[in-house]
Amino acid sequence: MNLFLAAFAALGISSSIMVIRANNPVYSVLYLILVFVNVSGILILQGLDFFAMIFLVVYVGAIAVLFLFVVMMLNIKVEEKQESMLRYLPVGGGIGLIFFLEVVIGLDKEFVPLNLLSLGPSYESEILPEYLHWGETLAQKTGIEAIGQVIYTYYFYYFFMASFILLVAMIGAILLTLHNDPKVKRQEVFEQNAREFSRTIQKAS
Amino acid sequence: MSYFLGVLLKILGLVVPLLLGIAFMVLAERKVMGSIQRRKGPNVVGVFGILQPIADGLKLMVKETVLPSNANLMIFLAAPVLTFMLALISWSVIPFGDGLVLCDLNIGVLYLFAVSSLGVYGVIMAGWSSNSKYAFLGALRSTAQMVSYEVSLGLILISTLIFAGSLNFTEIVESQKEVWFAVPLFPLFIMFFISCLAETNRAPFDLPEAEAELVAGYNVEYSSMAFALFFLGEYGNMILMCTFCSIMFLGGWLPLPILSSFDFMPPGFWLGLKAAFFLFGFIWVRASFPRYRYDQLMRLGWKVFLPLSLAWVFFVSGLMIGNDWLP
Amino acid sequence: MTEFFPIFIFLIISLGLSLILVGIPFIVAPQKADPEKISAYECGFDPFDDARGKFDIRFYLVAILFIIFDLEVSFLFPWSLVLGEISFFGFWTMIFFLLILTLGFVYEWKKGALDWE
Repeated sequence: MNLFLAAFAALGISSSIMVIRANNPVYSVLYLILVFVNVSGILILQGLDFFAMIFLVVYVGAIAVLFLFVVMMLNIKVEEKQESMLRYLPVGGGIGLIFFLEVVIGLDKEFVPLNLLSLGPSYESEILPEYLHWGETLAQKTGIEAIGQVIYTYYFYYFFMASFILLVAMIGAILLTLHNDPKVKRQEVFEQNAREFSRTIQKAS
Repeated sequence: MSYFLGVLLKILGLVVPLLLGIAFMVLAERKVMGSIQRRKGPNVVGVFGILQPIADGLKLMVKETVLPSNANLMIFLAAPVLTFMLALISWSVIPFGDGLVLCDLNIGVLYLFAVSSLGVYGVIMAGWSSNSKYAFLGALRSTAQMVSYEVSLGLILISTLIFAGSLNFTEIVESQKEVWFAVPLFPLFIMFFISCLAETNRAPFDLPEAEAELVAGYNVEYSSMAFALFFLGEYGNMILMCTFCSIMFLGGWLPLPILSSFDFMPPGFWLGLKAAFFLFGFIWVRASFPRYRYDQLMRLGWKVFLPLSLAWVFFVSGLMIGNDWLP
Repeated sequence: MTEFFPIFIFLIISLGLSLILVGIPFIVAPQKADPEKISAYECGFDPFDDARGKFDIRFYLVAILFIIFDLEVSFLFPWSLVLGEISFFGFWTMIFFLLILTLGFVYEWKKGALDWE
């Protein structure tokens, strides 16, 4: 178990380093896919099988395809990588530090034993005694069912927000990419099928 | 240790019949197409040409692998490996009988969906790394096509899942004991079959490899075993989709009601029979229909199948919850 | 997660198998590359230039729309399983969600984003 975790994490981290270091942007995206696959492996190890599969379907199956399309279209020949990486260090390092602090603060004491930075006591462990897990003993739910039971009822407003975000994404994508050429002739299938023979064909005589 | 041995034996019992199945599927395709076009098909190697696929495989094995000069070699070689690998591992959740499955995931359908959505990478990587125009165009087309039909495939699956109430393949089959899902969901069943044709890049949706314009699509630069792996992967995916179709709609390993005197046959026989039915359909369709035009293909996917399958989700869920029929 | 272990073994075995299959021709078959043979196939012509170029923006549009509908489908998966337990409230939640997306779908249809030329 720990061995698998170490293997997936090591592969994931090394391929995420390769995402940045690879010369060819297409290679970068392919390494990114490797990162995603490793992350879903880690998710499986955590018992989050539904999330692992959704991760594969959405990130690898859909988003990375789009990335690949974009990168393939950019048509960058092998980029020269001579410029020093140090130039980006202040900005990148700053952002990295912020993310790291966020993670450290966000984790509570159970994950990081000697976490001095966690703000406030973690209430959960104080309110809920260790031995009371009635929920688990009463109902055996698979992860996907447990998610389904709350996401469409208790958290429905987040769910609605997701739908609006998707709507905005759809409209935005269309507005940005679509430029219809009026000269192009299109096949109007429904008109074609609805056309009546007797009205369109007439005898010339 | 015995656990390992058991898993290894199960995998062996999955891979060997699968590879043989692919080989004879190819032969069956050539024979059936031959019969439909009133010719004999392969009939020289072995009795009735039965050893033809073996001979083909051996021939491909001793051919030189041509590595194009301006290809990205690592990706070029990784693409067929990936395709074949994905075609193999997607079989690990398919049950051939009650308990006859490599690992009975409770999210089996989702696993299959995820693995098949990874299948586009074999195509994109092959097309891009070959650095050939035909391959590149073929890969782009193929990707857009597979992606488009995956949406309707997913939506059709949702409707059947509402009926079944589970993502586990065994439970899906068990829930069809009363009636096969093909009966109440007949239109979806037809749409699923057609989407499978498009998803596996088969005729009449074989635009990516349209011989007349793109010579062979994304695998034009491949030769020898690398080509053979693509071929095996594609046919493996075909058989997989047919099996998937028979599990979702024709009750998997449940015996045919009209052949009740054959109930003693093992469950795998029934699953094979149903899958063979679909495979024959694949070949029949290929021999009968002309190829679609690309805009028509995309229109069928986005403007016909997607709204229809979405409407079926509305309809089926409303019907089930309104009448309190849910499992 | 232990139920995924056979898949992991299968993954490794199939990786090994396909690597062996790809490797066999390099051992048993003679490798004689010449410039004509290993140049990109272009129906007998010499390849004009690099094959990687710009392509139609519609492919992106398809990819983006696919992401959106794929997310929709992945939201539907848990819903289809627990529909009996979340009763009418959950049902109408999803119907609302789908209606919003159907609105977007109608929009793209009207805009002609689904047409190919």
